[in-house]
Amino acid sequence: MAKSITGYDWTTILIFLLLVGFGWANIYSASLGVNTGNLLDLNQVYGRQGLWIVLSFFILIIVLSIEPKFYQRFSSVIYIISLLSLAGLFVFGKTIAGQTAWYVMGPVSLQPAEFAKAATALAVAKYVSGIQVNLKEFEHQLKVFVIISLPVLLVMMQPDAGSAMVYFAFIFPLYREGLHFAYLLLGFFAAILFVATLAFGIPWVIGGILAIGGLMFLRNRKRRPNILKYLFLMTVAIGFSLSVNYVFENVFKQHHRDRFNIVLGKEVDSRGIGYNTNQSEIAIGSGGWFGKGWTEGTQTKGHFVPEQHTDYIFSTVGEEWGFLGSSFVIFLFVLLLVRLLYLAERQRSQFSRVYGYSVIGIIFMHFLVNIGMVIGIFPTVGIPLPFFSYGGSGLWAFTILLFIFIKLDAERISYI
Amino acid sequence: MAITEKGILNRLYFVAACMFLFAVGVAVKLLDIQFVDGDHYKQLAEERTYRNFKIPSNRGNLYDSNGSLLATSIPKYDIRFDAVTVSDKDFQENIGPLSKELAAMLGNSASYYAQKLRAARANKQRYLLITRGLGYSEFLKLKQFPMFNLGTYKGGMIVEQRTVREHPLGKMGERTVGYERQDDQGYFTRVGLEGAYSSYLRGTDGRRLKQKIAKGQWKPISDNNEVEPKDGYDVISTIDVNIQDIAHHALLKQLEKYEADHGSVVVMETATGEIKAISNLGRTSKGTYYEKLNYAVGELHEPGSTFKLMAMVAALDQKVVDTGDIVATGNGRMPVRGRMVRDSKHGGYGDISVARAFEVSSNVGTVKIIYDNYKDQPQKFIDKLNSMNLNEPLGLDIKGEGIPYIPQPGDKKWSGLSLPWMAYGYGSIQMTPLQTLTFYNAVANNGEMVKPRFIKEVKEWDKTIQKFDKEVINPAICSPETLSKVQEMLKNVVERGTAKSLYSPNFSMAGKTGTAQTEYWMDDWASNRRYISSFVGYFPAENPKYTSIVVIHKPDNSVGYYGADVSGPVFKRIAQKIYTDTPIEDELDSIEVKNEIIEDDFEKYYTKIQDEKIIMPDVVGMPAMDAVSLLENLGLEVKFRGKGKVKAQSVSAGQKIKNNQQVNLHLS
Repeated sequence: MAKSITGYDWTTILIFLLLVGFGWANIYSASLGVNTGNLLDLNQVYGRQGLWIVLSFFILIIVLSIEPKFYQRFSSVIYIISLLSLAGLFVFGKTIAGQTAWYVMGPVSLQPAEFAKAATALAVAKYVSGIQVNLKEFEHQLKVFVIISLPVLLVMMQPDAGSAMVYFAFIFPLYREGLHFAYLLLGFFAAILFVATLAFGIPWVIGGILAIGGLMFLRNRKRRPNILKYLFLMTVAIGFSLSVNYVFENVFKQHHRDRFNIVLGKEVDSRGIGYNTNQSEIAIGSGGWFGKGWTEGTQTKGHFVPEQHTDYIFSTVGEEWGFLGSSFVIFLFVLLLVRLLYLAERQRSQFSRVYGYSVIGIIFMHFLVNIGMVIGIFPTVGIPLPFFSYGGSGLWAFTILLFIFIKLDAERISYI
Repeated sequence: MAITEKGILNRLYFVAACMFLFAVGVAVKLLDIQFVDGDHYKQLAEERTYRNFKIPSNRGNLYDSNGSLLATSIPKYDIRFDAVTVSDKDFQENIGPLSKELAAMLGNSASYYAQKLRAARANKQRYLLITRGLGYSEFLKLKQFPMFNLGTYKGGMIVEQRTVREHPLGKMGERTVGYERQDDQGYFTRVGLEGAYSSYLRGTDGRRLKQKIAKGQWKPISDNNEVEPKDGYDVISTIDVNIQDIAHHALLKQLEKYEADHGSVVVMETATGEIKAISNLGRTSKGTYYEKLNYAVGELHEPGSTFKLMAMVAALDQKVVDTGDIVATGNGRMPVRGRMVRDSKHGGYGDISVARAFEVSSNVGTVKIIYDNYKDQPQKFIDKLNSMNLNEPLGLDIKGEGIPYIPQPGDKKWSGLSLPWMAYGYGSIQMTPLQTLTFYNAVANNGEMVKPRFIKEVKEWDKTIQKFDKEVINPAICSPETLSKVQEMLKNVVERGTAKSLYSPNFSMAGKTGTAQTEYWMDDWASNRRYISSFVGYFPAENPKYTSIVVIHKPDNSVGYYGADVSGPVFKRIAQKIYTDTPIEDELDSIEVKNEIIEDDFEKYYTKIQDEKIIMPDVVGMPAMDAVSLLENLGLEVKFRGKGKVKAQSVSAGQKIKNNQQVNLHLS
């Protein structure tokens, strides 16, 4: 335990409590049925979430009582156990809605993919903080890449593309620790090319690449640029665009394509594939400034938004608490992230800092993808809103993830 | 790690900027959804949570003129089973008896049901179909079956009620009874009486505004928003089920005999225009017949010889000929403008009277009568036809009436051949069977042309909402003299003309045969001749009660094709049946005249019977059978020995007897 209780960062803990509490209030509203029992009724969604919250307090006390050295020393072990638990799913796991993502033990179901994020964060932090490791060297870049890729592969096989996507979060710590800006730029351009290919089609994108490349070459012609370099870059870009098109048409499933097409505005369909987003937008849109009031949301009560208590919980906030309520939630998340950024930068050990940045990245990715999906600026990818959505595994995994960092931060003085 | 302080700071700012940008993006999108498009979404939200629920009205019944049901709505029940909701104990206890009961009611074996229910439970099926279309009484019984009697939640029985339209007549008159259907887009298909009178039958649906309060739960907002459903009225049609039955079967029999393509029969009450029966049968590829289309109402064709009546009425009424005038039909061949008019009789009829030309249906005679008298003034002839409303539709309630066509001088189609060809029913004349029938009915009805009618009365329970009387199209189509002449000629057609094979000494009929060529403009006509055989007329000839038309399309030529052979018998059959089925009502005015002597006699007889009933009669010497029946009628219990006549009786004559007293007879 910390030397004194004041060593913990209470700002972060307060935000955590606010998010969990407000989350529960919204889950209560979203899962309210006609025959409502008492608040502790474990047959009700809100009753169970109450239990998960209580248990998460026990978990955080345990997390806080372990010495920080343990996390650093055993990070590899934790990482390997986590990989094994993911691999074990294919033998012992239960398939629900097409995803083999759950261990079911009587009334309790656990989703190891949620915990694997924290384990990977520890492993990345451990490796990057190694004395001889320099992220400017290709060998070390490759090794980090492998560490991140193993859980991604296992998660993809479930298949759970949403959870796998979260691992992009590790670009944050790696960038902070010296990964060349070019990687970020590369990723950025790749993303633009990806969207442009899907939105405008191959001919326009190739034309655009040739036009921009040509213009830049002409602008720089006084410096006698190497024409081969330009041609090579343009060829790579065109090749990437073609492969994106190929993957989209041949590897993606129809429902993936549909989701992208809806966000890109190529398809409008409020009853079928775009149903979730459409219902969610109706719920949020009808909220107005102050919302309809807690448990007063007509869309929420009518259960029009599918999965509203899990992935679409933010639409309840939008409907019942209005613009003020949803802005408040966004404010809480931004505050949390900024606070964590501040905490990460004040760490003395590189391990703690890298881990801190990983936590920031993971929470940010969830926040980005989930809210983006609910308000219709991202394709439908089913991942939960941290601390907010219904689900034991998710809540506990985020609690562990966050409180390991709080513990590391609290011991930053005494810790190497 | 070789990163400068400044570099780190930049990287920190970059990460923070990413997050900040996204947060701003979210806020902007939220503003867009909640304010820019807010009203749109609010409206959508309201549309989805408030909904008007339809409270369907009950459709009225359709009756025939005697009160037999033609169409009615009855509830049917679909039964499904939620195999999950039942507790293990209830399921195991009841599955055996339930399966047995289901097997007894629905067929199949008990083990079949047991297996089906168990499989459903294993697969967690919540909507297993047990049976469809159960009637109300069966449904009540099924509700009492073990397990099902536990109710929806404990017993898992799911009931879905729907209303179906039943037609007790079944296939008979199916097109005439008809239906009304609504497709997904809300468009109605309306056929027959159900379609024609749907505005009476349908009623108005009620409405109730409800709000969705939870999954599958809707709460009525308030009573004020409610519109009470109003049930449809009952419609009493003019159809008579008995006549319909006769017409249907007579037509069917003839169609089968002649393997004809299709045919129709209409029976109309002469004085009122009420349609008593209308039957339309079309052939399937398998050679069976069913109510395919309403040919009688919708099918236009050149009428052929039945149109000679219209021509004759015109000629007689305009006094261009008289019945006694002689027409030279010669050898039965008459060239007109390079074409040939032929009579069916080889060698022709020679010189015959106008009336005779009609009776034998001479084409040459009719063409001569019309063409010779009207060729310089065709408009006069056409004007007369028009004045008899032959060029106007009848304006029926049933949808799909064919629009009749009488060629008019000045029309594009009009040519020198039009007039002679029209004289015997060709020349592009188009009429439906019902239109032809209406004209014949006018002749039968002494010149008054009435509109064919299918509806008699609209009722709400026992209260009459609207009554329908006869509608007169034309009060007098021609002069009374003309009428009596053509009526006589029509009667003679049956007595000694083309339809003499139909003649019966028992009842009188009047009518006209028609054997029209059809599709003669097609290339294959020479090798495959096709005809429309018809007969239209009324009965009894002197005081017509019913008018009827029979039209049969494309009978098998090798069996026969003349109107008198193919369609005539159907007409005769209907007339005969209606004659024999209608009881003769002789009213006796004075059946209850008191006669004192008779009364007195009756009184005495009665007392005597009463007396004798308690006194033992003498039966000695009577045959055994008579004695036994006599005594048993007096209430005695008779026992006897031997055979033959009575030799002795145990109770002697004149003694008082009691009920059930035993009497022994000794027979010799």
